Amino acid sequence: MNILFKNIRVINPTENFDKIVNLYIKDGIIEHCSNEECIVDSSTEIIDGSQLVAAPGFIDIHTHLREPGFEYKETIKTGTDAAANGGFTAVVCMPNTEPSIDDVTVVEYIKNKSKDLLVDVYIAGSISQKREGKLISPMLELDDAGVVMFTDDGRSIESSEMLRRAFDYATTRDLLIAEHCEDHSLTKNFAMDECELSIKLGLKGYPRIAEEIIVARDILLAEYSGNRRLHLQHISTKGSVELIRSAKMKGLRVSCEVTPHHLFLSHELLDSYNTNLKMNPPLRSKEDINALLEGIKEGIIDCIATDHAPHALHEKEVEFEKAPCGITGLETSIGLILNNLYHLFNIELSKIVELMSINPRKILNLKQIEIKKNEKANLTIFAPNEEWIVSSNKFMSISKNMPYENMKLKGRPKFAINNGKLWSSTL
Amino acid sequence: MNNDYLLSKPYLINSEDLTSEDIAAIFEKARYFLEDYPKQRKFTDLKGITVALAFFEPSTRTKLSFELAAKRLSADTISFASSSSSLTKGESLIDTLRTIEAMDVQMYVVRHANSGVPKFLQENTRGVILNAGDGKHEHPTQALLDSFTLWRHFGRVEGLKVCIAGDILHSRVARSNINVLKTLGAEVALCSPGTLLPRYLNPWNVKLIESIDDAIEWADVLLMLRLQRERMESGILPSIREFSKFYGVSLEQFSRKPDLVLMHPGPVNYGIELDYRVSSFPNCLIQTQVTHGVFIRMALLSLLSKFVAV
Repeated sequence: MNILFKNIRVINPTENFDKIVNLYIKDGIIEHCSNEECIVDSSTEIIDGSQLVAAPGFIDIHTHLREPGFEYKETIKTGTDAAANGGFTAVVCMPNTEPSIDDVTVVEYIKNKSKDLLVDVYIAGSISQKREGKLISPMLELDDAGVVMFTDDGRSIESSEMLRRAFDYATTRDLLIAEHCEDHSLTKNFAMDECELSIKLGLKGYPRIAEEIIVARDILLAEYSGNRRLHLQHISTKGSVELIRSAKMKGLRVSCEVTPHHLFLSHELLDSYNTNLKMNPPLRSKEDINALLEGIKEGIIDCIATDHAPHALHEKEVEFEKAPCGITGLETSIGLILNNLYHLFNIELSKIVELMSINPRKILNLKQIEIKKNEKANLTIFAPNEEWIVSSNKFMSISKNMPYENMKLKGRPKFAINNGKLWSSTL
Repeated sequence: MNNDYLLSKPYLINSEDLTSEDIAAIFEKARYFLEDYPKQRKFTDLKGITVALAFFEPSTRTKLSFELAAKRLSADTISFASSSSSLTKGESLIDTLRTIEAMDVQMYVVRHANSGVPKFLQENTRGVILNAGDGKHEHPTQALLDSFTLWRHFGRVEGLKVCIAGDILHSRVARSNINVLKTLGAEVALCSPGTLLPRYLNPWNVKLIESIDDAIEWADVLLMLRLQRERMESGILPSIREFSKFYGVSLEQFSRKPDLVLMHPGPVNYGIELDYRVSSFPNCLIQTQVTHGVFIRMALLSLLSKFVAV
């Protein structure tokens, strides 16, 4: 793979780099990255980069690859293809598989299936065995096997005592605990956000406080256990932003993520009873959305996560109350973020690179990617001004459950480059 | 009456689908059936049309009422009950719909325990959908027959003070009635225990009355709701006794305002929300509601049959 991007804008906030350059990648290595002319091999593909931006490879800190256990929804292969197609060069896969990722054998299985791929697959192990919230998983052994965070994703640890043990146990290696924030006693049989519309529609509500109670508790426990590393997953409410703001002001090591759907879709849409709008946490109010956007601008929200949650058509084409939660996100995330954050809300591209590449790596203690001569090429290349229409027929994901079909977006992923491989997006 | 009137929507899913003109046309049609039925006994509005009575949730009165209505209009009917169907074998709802549709059925009367199902089905069929009650969402034919009953009793609905009392939170009857009554210009209030309608969640922006005595004093009409016994098991109320004491209507309370009109969608838990002795008073319209139900459903089937694709 030899490729030259002529006059491409390279943005790498960690190096304070933002320049138009000729970027030459040879055998997976950056051979040239400057505005000077560059001599290339005859086999080199030359691409006009004048409408393109190259950034350190984007990483999705919240992906459900579904394998092992639910290969009819997604596999490691199709999920990572979807990631590359959406412009990501790395994902963190969640442990709500079957069996769950609470044992080294499962970690090894995933590592084996994901080696030699363009997309790096980082693995989240579960906090508790079988994600039952009762006994802590073998966290040290999982850490040795390369697990980058611990979460019972999809569920909160209900027992405060159990979570405290996890924090205490994580101390010896300063491991990262991540939580899905939901007080399950308040959300039984929920179908959407609790609001006036949920009352009208006769759907059981998931009140904001169900999230905020756990956010508050987890912050308290993380602080009490010696200021542990805590990552709060897919937060959705104004109250959560406020709690995290005050935690950060106290100097606590708390981070959080937000999904594109919680940023750009609100609960009013639910009167369609469209199961592709059913998620956990549910879509919230415009007031919450504004607080999330403000949280991004202020730096309270560290990163964007897709929460890519594939489900088969037959699972979603059912009674709303019976449908599973979640939508796919890997192939729409960059488009939605560019269309909305960059074009509508005037958030700079360097900030978007921080949200989708730099900050998630910081949270996970991963090495930052450098874009300079002789470094391995790990790049996300996108066209910030190119318009496209979302069409799930072009997706690599097995599942098509998302509410953006036929939506026109400005800004699309073009290439993912990593591990000596190049993916040209089909979107 | 105008026989060419077309309802504004080719289905009946939400009570909010109905304009006041729609409701007026439905009432006129229902009155016509009510008055002519003793003479004619049988009408031909639905001749050649097959109506599926798709009751995915158990029902007695609504199902009987729709079945009679369809038959009096000369429809062919097929009946469907979830307990004896392939749903128990794991067949999906959408597949069941496709199966029925493949047998050339034109109208569907749908009852389902999940909110939103009639809308879901309507988006997936060419047939005409009538909502006969979906989860905690809507029961528009019940609301129409309730207002029809008031219209016949008072000669108007506009300006009436109607208080809906009981388990608002879980009641599709309440939701549909609030909308229809508001469309017709009635004043609506709600009276319920705090857990059966959190006070900060009032999407209709209607008056909330905090005691049944105040409700009786305020209202021309008290529309009582059935208290589902499982509410007690879930701990949302302390006891039947406490509910009955503070939110039920006793003979003594009723006697203080004998011109108060009482309605109930049935089946009534006598002794819980209503004293049994009250049921024989002339202002207690529960049986009239049942009678009117058939004619309202005849009117709806007749008006909606105009949307059957030929």
